Amino acid sequence: MKLIEALPTVLSCRNLSKSFRGSHKQETVVLADINLEICKGTFVTILGQSGGGKSTLLKLLGGFLPSSSGKVLFNGHPLKGNTPDIGMIFQDHNLYPWMAVEQNVGFGFKIKGEKPGKYKHLVHEILDTVGLFHARKLYPHQLSGGMRQRVAIARSIVVKPTVLLLDEPFSALDVQLRRRLQEFLLALWSEMNTTMILVTHNVEEAILLGQNLVVVGDSPGRIVEEVQISDAQYRDRYHPDFLRLQRYLESVLEGTSKEQENGCCEEILAIPRIQRN
Amino acid sequence: MICGMFSCFVLICIWELVGFNPANPLTQVLPPPSKFLPVLFESDFKIGLGSQSTSIYQSVFVTLFRVFAGMTIAFLAAIVCGMLISLSEWAELFILPVLGVIAPIAPIAWVPLALVVFGISNLTAIFIVFMGVFFTLTIATVAEIKRIPENLLITARNLAGNRFNVWRMVVMPAVLPSVFTLLRLNFIAAWMAVLAAEMTGLRDGLGSVVMTGRNLFNSNLILLGICIIGISGFAVDRLLLLIQRKFFWWKV
Ligand SMILES: Nc1ncnc2c1ncn2[C@@H]1O[C@H](COP(=O)(O)OP(=O)(O)OP(=O)(O)O)[C@@H](O)[C@H]1O
Ligand SMILES: [Mg+2]
Repeated sequence: MKLIEALPTVLSCRNLSKSFRGSHKQETVVLADINLEICKGTFVTILGQSGGGKSTLLKLLGGFLPSSSGKVLFNGHPLKGNTPDIGMIFQDHNLYPWMAVEQNVGFGFKIKGEKPGKYKHLVHEILDTVGLFHARKLYPHQLSGGMRQRVAIARSIVVKPTVLLLDEPFSALDVQLRRRLQEFLLALWSEMNTTMILVTHNVEEAILLGQNLVVVGDSPGRIVEEVQISDAQYRDRYHPDFLRLQRYLESVLEGTSKEQENGCCEEILAIPRIQRN
Repeated sequence: MICGMFSCFVLICIWELVGFNPANPLTQVLPPPSKFLPVLFESDFKIGLGSQSTSIYQSVFVTLFRVFAGMTIAFLAAIVCGMLISLSEWAELFILPVLGVIAPIAPIAWVPLALVVFGISNLTAIFIVFMGVFFTLTIATVAEIKRIPENLLITARNLAGNRFNVWRMVVMPAVLPSVFTLLRLNFIAAWMAVLAAEMTGLRDGLGSVVMTGRNLFNSNLILLGICIIGISGFAVDRLLLLIQRKFFWWKV
């Protein structure tokens, strides 16, 4: 396991807030005062309830949305607009329906005006990694949901972004496929040097994948819990520690945890809770 | 397809039965295919009198050329203009309503104006088709561009696409299929407008075949013209459908 403390910060945000102006000119605060430090090469999962502002947070981190206040730092510099160094995979795959798998994956090169001969081998390599080499000539409507999501991952990862943001990439898939793709994503992550930030409302997924786990609470969204879980037992969904953490996080999510304010995570679970100053 | 052919066959049979009796007055105005089709062969595929005659192929070709030229120009222009308009909110606010007023004008209504402006030439017909199709398609292009899922565009920009490439590689392919569908639906109107122009002003094309028949009091010729119009219109529609299935099959 990679040692988190020793790694440099790649993405961080300070006092980040976002509010949307709804109808009747009233502002709804979706995110308030978010502070995050994301270290290079780590896998961070952001857990939150539906409608809690997870996608919004991810879009802010990627520079896809301007923040209302506070700022996002990427490699120490304020982020202005999105850059190709931060890739994003959306809740739905959003592949281009008129392109075959191969073209979709190579699109990141093509749109920069590169010649197909130059990147074709990269595309084939990544298609091999995601196990879709045989399907490279098919079109998105001929693929299953899981295949589409893998193509989307391949498309984002082939251009080698420093950070990859994943917005509930597996939420539309059935349990078996979801587990296979989770393993696939972990394998891909340990192979590449990419920092991954994955948003989910699924507690199990968040524990299973994350080294750092951030829980975003509801209305307005703020970070209510943050734990570090790099030990092996949290990669086994039937380990007692895993289940205990899962139960704890579920109660945090529902906001019923009385210990929440006291920060009892350490006492109950013996998990290092990230200290904020 | 087979069912359709069968229905056509039945229709022709009934027609032949009715027209079998030469004493029937209906036969004079509505001669059955067995009467008017031989006209084609007898006259060596030429229609009209003496030096003014043109071959039937040429008539079909002239009409098709006009419709296709008009539709192609209108299609390309509509895509380009639609994209330009949706580049700026001001253009949408000021130009779209004007297009909205012009679009519902039936293409046939442009015939007299076009005849005055362009005289008797191919340009007249092409202009009419263009006017009949262009405005509707431009409005549709703008609407379709608005309908493109935001995430498709974000992804493209995220992958470091510059503005021009995003428009060329994402926006354009995203709107092409639905605009082409609309073109296919508008084809009938364009087709009718060209025929109307050929009947009233222009001296060649399929429409003028029918008019020649009228001038010569030759109902065989009239029906021949009508049949060819029906068949070629149908063929073009099928052709457009084929193009759509082959080149513009996706849905965004
Ligand atoms: N562009 C926008 N304009 C106005 N309000 C918005 C906009 N985007 C998001 N919101 C609001 O922000 C809140 C959080 O939205 P967000 O999409 O971030 O939720 P989420 O946690 O990703 O939910 P889900 O799990 O369902 O995807 C919602 O209440 C939504 O109404
Ligand atoms: Mg979301």
